[in-house]
Amino acid sequence: MEYVNPEGLRLDGRRPLEMRQLRAEIGVVARADGSAVFEMGNTKVIAAIYGPREVQNKSQQINDQAVVRCEYSMANFSTGDRMRKPKHDRRSTEISLVIRQTMEACILTHLMPRSQIDIFVQVLQADGGTRSACINAATLALADAGIPMRDLVTSCAAGYLNTTPLLDLSYVEDSAGGPDVTVGILPKLDKVTLLQMDAKLPLDTFETVLQLAIEGCKAVANYIREILLENTKQLEFRRGV
Amino acid sequence: MAAASGSDLSSEMEVDAFRRLFPLCFHERHLLKSIRPDGRTLGKARDTIISLGAVTSANGSALTKIGCTTMLAAIKLEVMTPTVESPDEGCIAIDFHMPPICSPIVRPGRPADAAPVVAKQLSDTILSSGMIDLKELSLVSGKAAWMAYLDIYCLDADGSLFDAALLSAVAAFSHLQIPVVSLNDEGRIVLVSEDNGGGKLEKEPVNKEKRKLKLATIPFSLTCVLHKNYILADPTAEEESIMETLVTVVLDSSSQLVSLYKPGGPVLAHTSAIQDCVALTRQRLKELQKILNEAISDMEVD
Repeated sequence: MEYVNPEGLRLDGRRPLEMRQLRAEIGVVARADGSAVFEMGNTKVIAAIYGPREVQNKSQQINDQAVVRCEYSMANFSTGDRMRKPKHDRRSTEISLVIRQTMEACILTHLMPRSQIDIFVQVLQADGGTRSACINAATLALADAGIPMRDLVTSCAAGYLNTTPLLDLSYVEDSAGGPDVTVGILPKLDKVTLLQMDAKLPLDTFETVLQLAIEGCKAVANYIREILLENTKQLEFRRGV
Repeated sequence: MAAASGSDLSSEMEVDAFRRLFPLCFHERHLLKSIRPDGRTLGKARDTIISLGAVTSANGSALTKIGCTTMLAAIKLEVMTPTVESPDEGCIAIDFHMPPICSPIVRPGRPADAAPVVAKQLSDTILSSGMIDLKELSLVSGKAAWMAYLDIYCLDADGSLFDAALLSAVAAFSHLQIPVVSLNDEGRIVLVSEDNGGGKLEKEPVNKEKRKLKLATIPFSLTCVLHKNYILADPTAEEESIMETLVTVVLDSSSQLVSLYKPGGPVLAHTSAIQDCVALTRQRLKELQKILNEAISDMEVD
C-alpha cells in the first residue's frame, strides 16, 4: 500500500515532515488539582492530576520523596471497533508504567516527601500516537497543578514507510507494520527520557528518524509553552494585576 | 464562629477555613437568606450546555455540562442476531463509567460507589421510558439487528451525576445516525461505505440512507436534595456530601412521571415535599427541552 504518494503527500494530505494539528486546553476538570486536554489530529486525550495529597496506601509511603502513580485507560468508543476491556489489558498496563516512569524522572519528588501524586489519563479518541499525546497532556496538567518539575516533558513519534521518514504517525500509518519510534525529551535540558521502537531499522536510518522525532518534540514544547503563557496571562487578568 | 465580612486576605482565609471545618453551618447560614454559596436561589439549576457530535468516530455522541459536572456519551452500533423471543427487535446496552479523573475520591482499581448505582438507574429509566422503540433497531427479521452500545463517561463529578448522564444519553440518541448497510453474498451485513455506495452493489441496501431514530417521548430529570424544610435543586458535590437526602424525579416530555427515586436518607419527606420536587422538575423540563432543541437545530444547520 502506498503511504506516501508520488507527489510526496501522505494519506491524510500531510507532508512527510509535517505534524498533525495540535490543540490543548488547561483546567478542564474543575475538581482536579490540575487537568488538560491535548489533541494531536484526531487523537484526543484528557489528563487529570490529583496531588500532592496523602498517600492512600500507607505501606507505599516513601519518607523522603513523593510517590507517583499513573493510570492510562481508553474509552470504549475511542477506537474504531468498540473495545471490550479498556483498562487492565497488557497494553494499558505497559503504557501506564511508561508514562509514570517518564513523568517521575522530571517531577522534583524530593520536595514533597510522604505524599502521593496521581496522574490519570483517559483516551477519548485514538488515532495513533496516544502514548505521546498522553505524556504531553500529563505535562500540561502537572504545570496546571503547580507541581515543581525539572523541565517540561514532550513526546512525539516518527516512523519510516516507503523509504521516507514520517513524523507523527496516524493509526493507519502505525498499523502498516513499519518501525515506530516514540521519543520523550526534556526540551530545555536537551535530554531524552523516553525512547521506544519496534520493528527493524538500519542504524543510520534510525538516527534520521530519531532526529525527526526530537524535532517534533521541540515543536510540541513550543506549543505547550505558548499555551502555558496564555493561561498565566489569563490568571493575571482575573486577579486584576 | 468566624465573621465572614471584610474583604482583606485574612477574612478570606477565615471563610475558606470555616467552610471546610463547619460545612453544614456554612450552608445553613446561606439557606437562611434563601441563597446558596454559588449565588443560586434554592430552586434554580446550574447552567447547562449540550454539545452534539463530540466523538467523531461514534455513530452518535454528546457532551453535556451541568455546571462543572461533565458527561461524555457515545453510541456505537454493532450487528448481532436478535433473540428468538423478539426477532424484530434490536438491543441497547448502557454502561456508565467514572474514571479516576472525575473526582478525588475515586481510586484507580476500585470503581466508585456511585457508578453502578447510576448505571442501573440510567438503564432502568431509559428502557422503561419508552423513548426508543427497539423495533427501529431491527435490520432483517430474525437474522440481524443492531446492538447499540451506549457508553457514558463522567469527566468531572460535581453533583447531579444522574441528571447529567441522562441528558447526555438522550442527546446522544437524538444525534444517532444509523449507517447504511447491505447484505453480502454470504448473508452477512456489511457497511456500505460512501465511496462505492450506489455503484456496484450485489444486493439492495437494507436501509436506503442514514436515518435517525424516532424518539417517542424524551425523559428529563432533576435531582433535589432535602434538608430540614429546604429543597435545593441540582446540588453540587459539596452539597450532596453534606445533606445526604436525594430525590430524583424523571418526567417525560408530556410531563408524565416516569420515575421517582428517593433512596433513604436522614430526612423523611412529606408528600408535599415530593410534590414540590415534581413541580421544580416540571420547570426544569421546559428549560432542558429548549436547550436540547437548540442543540439539535444547531447540528442540522451544519
